[in-house]
Amino acid sequence: MAKVLMKGNEAMALAAIKGGCDAFFGYPITPQNEIPEYLSYHMVNEGRVFVQAESEVAAINMVYGAAGAGARVLTSSSSPGIALKQEGISYLAGSELPCVIISVMRGGPGLGGIQPSQGDYNQITRGGGNGDYHLLAFAPESLQETVDIVKQAFDLADYYRNPVIIAVDGLIGQMMEPVDIDKEVPKMKLDPKNWAAEGKSGERGSRNTIVSLHLDPYDLEKHNLKLKKKYDEMIQKEQRYEMINMENAEVAIVAYGTVARIARSAIETLKEEGINVGILRPLSIWPFPRKAFNELPESVHSLLTVEMSLGQMNQDVHLADKCRHNIEFYGRAGGVVPEPQEIVDAVKKIVRGRN
Amino acid sequence: MKRITILTGHYGSGKSEIAVNLALQKKLNTLVDLDVINPYFRSRSLYEMLNKHGIDVIESTIENASGSDLPFISSRGSRPFVNTDLMAVYDLGGTRHGAKLMKQFDAFTTNSEEIDFLMVVNIYRPETETVEKIMTAIDDIESASQLRITGFINNSNLMEYTEPSMILKGQEILESVGKIKNLSIKYTCVEEHVECHETFLGETIILRRYLAEKALAIGGKYGKR
Repeated sequence: MAKVLMKGNEAMALAAIKGGCDAFFGYPITPQNEIPEYLSYHMVNEGRVFVQAESEVAAINMVYGAAGAGARVLTSSSSPGIALKQEGISYLAGSELPCVIISVMRGGPGLGGIQPSQGDYNQITRGGGNGDYHLLAFAPESLQETVDIVKQAFDLADYYRNPVIIAVDGLIGQMMEPVDIDKEVPKMKLDPKNWAAEGKSGERGSRNTIVSLHLDPYDLEKHNLKLKKKYDEMIQKEQRYEMINMENAEVAIVAYGTVARIARSAIETLKEEGINVGILRPLSIWPFPRKAFNELPESVHSLLTVEMSLGQMNQDVHLADKCRHNIEFYGRAGGVVPEPQEIVDAVKKIVRGRN
Repeated sequence: MKRITILTGHYGSGKSEIAVNLALQKKLNTLVDLDVINPYFRSRSLYEMLNKHGIDVIESTIENASGSDLPFISSRGSRPFVNTDLMAVYDLGGTRHGAKLMKQFDAFTTNSEEIDFLMVVNIYRPETETVEKIMTAIDDIESASQLRITGFINNSNLMEYTEPSMILKGQEILESVGKIKNLSIKYTCVEEHVECHETFLGETIILRRYLAEKALAIGGKYGKR
C-alpha cells in the first residue's frame, strides 16, 4: 500500500481502527486531541463506538465495561489525564481485561505544560495504580513504528488479557511523517473470549463474572501469582529494542522515542569528529530490554542515558547494566527537547574525561 | 500578489510552513498566526527569526505565554485589513474549525479586492486525497469562514519521499476541482530537497521547512532515520 502523510495522533487513531478497535472512550487533553477528534467521526462512519466521556475517570471505567464485554477498546490521554485513569488501569489489570491505552506525554508534574516530555516513564513502567501489576509498554520513535505497534497492541492485549500502553512524547503525536498505514504486522493466534461477560449466560448455562476483589488472602495470592506468570512471559517474549551503530562504539547512548531520533543525528556529527558512538534504543519500556545490555560490544566503556526527564529510565539502565559500565546521564525536562549538539557535548565530556 | 493572503486548508496541509516561506520570500511585513488549534509547530514559534527579517508577528497566544493552548485572538489581528501599508499573510488553524475565525473580520473581507483566500492542499493527506474530499473541504471552510476561496496552493508532497510526479498528480486533481469550482492554482510548493526540472501551474515556491527544523531540532532533511 502507498504511503500517506499523517500527523502522529491521527495516524495512531487510524492504526487503532485498522487494529480492530471496536470502541473508544476518552476525554480531551492537549497534545493528543487529534486522536479523539479523528475517531469521533471515523469510528462512527465505520459503525463502531465513540464516546467522549464526562471525565478521564468515567472514560477508563467505560473501557473496563466494554473490555469486560469482550470488545477491543482504546482510550487515549496525556500525562495528567493518564494519572486520573490509574485506578481504572489497576482494576483492568487486576480483572485481566485487555485494552489499549495511548499516552501522549507532556511536561509535569501536576498540570505541567503542553510541550513534549518523557516525564511519565515511572508512571507507565512502575504503575500509578495499586497492587502487583504491570502494563505492557511500548515507546516507538517514528510514526511508522507507532502505527505498527498500535495495530499489534490489540492482539497483545487480548493475548495477555492485560492493558497495553503506547507511550509517545507530544512531538510524535504532533509531527507529520509519511506512513504506510496498511503495512503488514505479525498477527497472533488468539483464543475466543470465553471469559467475557457478554450477556449470554442463558446460552452458556453459566455466568461469567469479572472482579478484581478477592477477600481471601490465599485466594488473592494465587491470583497475584497467576498474574506474575503472565508478566514473566512478557519479560521472556516482549523485550524489544534496536542496537544502532554498535560496532566499535566506545560510548552507547541509551534513548527512546524522539530522543533516540535526536541521538541518531548526534552520532553522525560525532562520527565526523572520529568518535564512534552507538545507540541502544528500547522499544519496549516494560519489560525493559535488559537482554540488550548483554549484547553491548566490549569496545563500549560508557553508557550515556539521554531522556526528556530528569533520569527516570536511567534507573532501569543502572539495574540492567549491573555495574558493567560507567553510566552518565543527560536530560531536559518541562517540555524542552534536547538539541543534537547537547548530546554531542555530553558524549565528548565522557570521552575527554577518559583521555 | 494581493496585499493580503489568507491560508486555509486541512490541518497538516502545510499552511504554517508556507506562511513563513511566503513572508520571507515575498518580503511581507506582517504574519498573522491565527492558529488556535495546534499546540506545536506554529509559525509564531519563529517570531525571533521573522522579526529579524522585518516581519511583525501577530499571534494568537497571550504575550509571553506561547506554551498556552488558550484560544485567544489578538485585537491586532485585524490591523492589516485597516492599515494599507501592511503586506500580510494570515496563517489559520486547520479545517472549518480554524477557518471560522475569519467570520469576525467579515466587515473587512466582504467584497475586498485586496484579499486572496487560498486553500493549501496536499493530496497525500488522506482527508484531501480525492476530488470529492477536496470539494467537501471547500464547502466546509467556506461556510464556516463565510469567505469564498479564491485559489489553491498545491503542496502535494510526501516529505523526503516526494517525487515531481506526485506534485503533478496533485496538480491534476486540483485542476479537476478547479474546473468545477472555477478556481486555479496560484502557487505550487516544491520542497528544497526535491530534485525537480518540471514546471508547474501558478508560481513555484521553493519551500524550506523552518518549523520542522526548529521543533524537531534535528536539522537537515528531517533528521536521519
